[in-house]
Amino acid sequence: MANVIDIRNLTKSYGKNRGIIDVTLSVESGDIFGFLGPNGAGKSTTIRSVLGFLKGYSGEIRVLGMDSVKEHEKILANVGYMPSEAWFYSSMRVRDVIRYAANVRGLDCSEEAEKICEKLKVDTSRKIKELSLGNRKKVSIVCAMQHRPKLFVFDEPTSGLDPLIQRNFFELIHEYVEEGATCLLSTHVLSEVNKYCKTAAIMREGKLKMLKSPKIDEDMFLKFYEEENI
Amino acid sequence: MKTIFLGELRLNLKALFIWSIVIGSFGFICILLYESMQGDMREMADAFSSMGAFSDAFGMSTLSIATLKGYFAAEIGTIHSLGSGMFAAVTAIGILSKEEEGHTGEFLLSLPITRKKVVLSKGLCVLFSLIIFTCICAFFYSMGFIVLDEELPAKEFLKFMYYQFLMNIEIAGICFGISSISGKNRMGIGIGIAILFYGFDLIGRIIPDLKEYLFLGPYSYANASAIFSGADTPEKAVAMAAFLTSVGILFAFLYYDRRDLAS
Repeated sequence: MANVIDIRNLTKSYGKNRGIIDVTLSVESGDIFGFLGPNGAGKSTTIRSVLGFLKGYSGEIRVLGMDSVKEHEKILANVGYMPSEAWFYSSMRVRDVIRYAANVRGLDCSEEAEKICEKLKVDTSRKIKELSLGNRKKVSIVCAMQHRPKLFVFDEPTSGLDPLIQRNFFELIHEYVEEGATCLLSTHVLSEVNKYCKTAAIMREGKLKMLKSPKIDEDMFLKFYEEENI
Repeated sequence: MKTIFLGELRLNLKALFIWSIVIGSFGFICILLYESMQGDMREMADAFSSMGAFSDAFGMSTLSIATLKGYFAAEIGTIHSLGSGMFAAVTAIGILSKEEEGHTGEFLLSLPITRKKVVLSKGLCVLFSLIIFTCICAFFYSMGFIVLDEELPAKEFLKFMYYQFLMNIEIAGICFGISSISGKNRMGIGIGIAILFYGFDLIGRIIPDLKEYLFLGPYSYANASAIFSGADTPEKAVAMAAFLTSVGILFAFLYYDRRDLAS
């Protein structure tokens, strides 16, 4: 199977501070890839490098077979990203934000957006500034999914979501993955990885380790958080 | 690009109209006050025209504030210069940095659009806002002349508004460059830059040794008194303005494209 994400020897530092060190990672097409690790381990740095938010790294990143720097715009047209903290322009209404994202993509995603909003119980008439974190996250999910991308990148997507919406969210992911999409899921929730992911890796202190199986027990999982070195 | 431009314009619309209406109506009211102050103005004009360097600094040695033209240059010229300069600075200095301050940068830059196009859309939005601002203010000032049933010195008035607009673009260009560096809205720095330039021009016109350096600031070619008294446009100052504006804008494009985006 072709790799949707191909990262080779990625190193990114912030001045004297460690970022990520020599990360090599492949995510295959159709995978739901669990990306685990403690806070500050480098998960977000890896994701943000893949999406082009961070510059000045060494190594190579290819997404959907394209060079992440040269074909950045093309890559983003096929990616749906949900950041860990979902922020939008506070004075806008939910429906305007969703339409704004679709318009920048040059697409009419109204039908798909309506379907996702219904599934996640999103009130599109409310203003962003009136929304809780959970409700902002739901808007973020709609923006990431409405254009039916080939690759989903979710950074801690379920924090703040109620259990029913969490279940509906994963149902949506499964639906899209069955249709050929791929998903990179960064999370702290082991049960999500056990239940939904096909492969997984764990990051600690800027270094990445692939797990043999995403089905690991809690003690083993916590050990990764405690150990000095992996 | 169109969506980002229009979205940005919509987000800034309230501020644009507040600034335009406040500055424009303030100028309009000042013009209307001319009639009631006309009698006292003659004595004031004589006093102001014999104050040496101060008279030169405010253009009172060549223009009489007893006339509406002179009054407009001295009073409304000052209001518009400061007000429009501050509006240009405030609009431009936050336009890029607010994305990081409001944590909306990840949403915007995860959409399929290059950073250069984002900078261009936002830059065009600043330019368009300045055009609208200038038009609204010009409308208010023209209304002042119409209400007083006085003839508008059209040539000087248009030249004044045009050079004020150029001055606004220069301040906005510099602030736009600063906005690309910052992860926070530096509104205070923007207002400070506008006031600093204004102060530099004012002091430069009072202190003879500084006169040859006036061209460095944007207010040198946009000075109302100089324009209304028919003085030649200082070409050196306009060239400097073109240079500083280009540097600010170019810097914004290059730097914003290369920097890490804060989460």
